Amino acid sequence: MHGIWGIYFRELLIFKSKFFKNLLASVISPLLFLFAFGFGIGKDTQIDGTNYIAFLLPGLLTMTSLNQAYGISSEINISRFYFKIFDEYLIAPIGRWQILLGESLYGVTKGFISAAIIIILAYILDVKFSISFLFVVILLLHLLIFSMLGFSAALIVRNHGDQFAINSFIITPMVFLSGTFYPIDMMPAIIKYVVHIFPLTYTTKLIRDAFLYNRLTSITYLLVSIFILFSLFLFGIFIVRRIE
Amino acid sequence: MEINNIEVKDLTKKYNDLVAVDDISFSVRKGDIIAILGPNGAGKTTLIKMLTGLLSPTKGIIFYNNVNFSKSQKKVKKVIGLVPQENNIDRDISVHNNLLIHAILYGINYKERNKAIMEALSFAEIDDYKSKLANELSGGLKRRLVIARAMLHKPKILFLDEPTVNLDPHSRRHIWNFIRKINNESQTTIFITTHYIEEADLLAKNVLIMDRGKIIASGSPEKLKSRLGSFTLEIFKSDSIEYQFFHNREEAIQFGEKLNCSFKIRELSLEDLYIKITGKRIE
Ligand SMILES: Nc1ncnc2c1ncn2[C@@H]1O[C@H](COP(=O)(O)OP(=O)(O)OP(=O)(O)O)[C@@H](O)[C@H]1O
Ligand SMILES: [Mg+2]
Repeated sequence: MHGIWGIYFRELLIFKSKFFKNLLASVISPLLFLFAFGFGIGKDTQIDGTNYIAFLLPGLLTMTSLNQAYGISSEINISRFYFKIFDEYLIAPIGRWQILLGESLYGVTKGFISAAIIIILAYILDVKFSISFLFVVILLLHLLIFSMLGFSAALIVRNHGDQFAINSFIITPMVFLSGTFYPIDMMPAIIKYVVHIFPLTYTTKLIRDAFLYNRLTSITYLLVSIFILFSLFLFGIFIVRRIE
Repeated sequence: MEINNIEVKDLTKKYNDLVAVDDISFSVRKGDIIAILGPNGAGKTTLIKMLTGLLSPTKGIIFYNNVNFSKSQKKVKKVIGLVPQENNIDRDISVHNNLLIHAILYGINYKERNKAIMEALSFAEIDDYKSKLANELSGGLKRRLVIARAMLHKPKILFLDEPTVNLDPHSRRHIWNFIRKINNESQTTIFITTHYIEEADLLAKNVLIMDRGKIIASGSPEKLKSRLGSFTLEIFKSDSIEYQFFHNREEAIQFGEKLNCSFKIRELSLEDLYIKITGKRIE
């Protein structure tokens, strides 16, 4: 277990050294979306039986926390190709799976911090929400999924360029199409089906329901999410064991 | 775990079509210093990466104490230290924290960590810089930090990939002294790759000369040199310098005096041999 702790500790030290830059990024981007969409479309617009701001906030929460959790991929990339710190992990007498868990734990930590910022925002905007056990578990599930996705992405690519391509061609469309900013029901029929390939579609719905109503509306979505996490975990281990 | 011998059998590494390490075998005993020499791209780093588990061989086996490395990685890795070709330190955190992370990764327990870090700092003589950010260190000090880190868990085998590249003469000597000290005090087996032939001559008990993935010569520096002779005659022609090798000084002088250009006689160096055998291949 010392491998997990060593890697997590290292990431925290690096995180601390650029904490305010990071924090600012987690605040600015949701605020931007809030102004652009939220106040643009307006408080009075009703969507899915609630006002739009209330609908949007949990979407912003999934988006920002996803960006933070998945964002470990760029950091791993830099430490792997540029500073070569990743070699320190590979040469250490630890099981390779510990690298996956250490990094994922870090992604989860960053995700929780950015989620906390949105929660403060929700409080300020006077949106009704609940922070229940259910919400925490679902958020954890969401963050683990995207940390592990980020981890595997970072190990599959061969350079920064590949990483950039994955971000623009997969992550960005996913963030816009998974029901973060408006309900999937409002999309054209074909897209409605297509978006179900994105893990974010499932976790967004679960998070929104837990956050706004403290309820679990779809067991199927929960099971699909758990299945996705499990697959990504196995895939991550497979990849990290082959890496050189 | 003590490592009394290392044996490498038919080791090969291919990157797609390129054979970086080509079917090499050798063995090493505890406490030896082995220098690996070879031109750029010879395969030295690739060899070291396989020996430390960073790369897996395309073919061949590495035995540590007669145990297959690929089957006992964790155990062997505990007693291996690596100073990589590039300084892979965390620049935005302190020297002390760089070492602390390493201590945790190597499972050094909470109570012993501080002592191990202090020892490593003082061994590499960087105590004064322990609270500095790693980025603020000069090139020589960064190298010493990497050495301190590699020594922190007291490895039985230390791999140094071009440890003195880009260092000034003082820092280089400093690092030579560390290497000697590490080897003497704890019978640590040391692998060192270098482009400075005199470094190999000075430090190594055994030299492996690599070229295009193969070992083209090996043996003690003395034995290798004696293949060519003991003295080198440098002949200064108008547009080039040529070299001739002799077993004794008299022969060299006689040969030189027959020429009608200036010449110089000196002791034969390992570099003479190196240039001779690697040059032949590059032609
Ligand atoms: N990851 C890689 N992918 C493809 N080819 C590689 C890779 N790493 C090294 N090579 C090639 O393998 C050969 C051996 O490289 P290696 O780095 O082992 O040489 P070296 O002896 O350490 O050289 P140097 O003295 O320049 O450090 C070179 O031809 C190099 O281009
Ligand atoms: Mg090299």
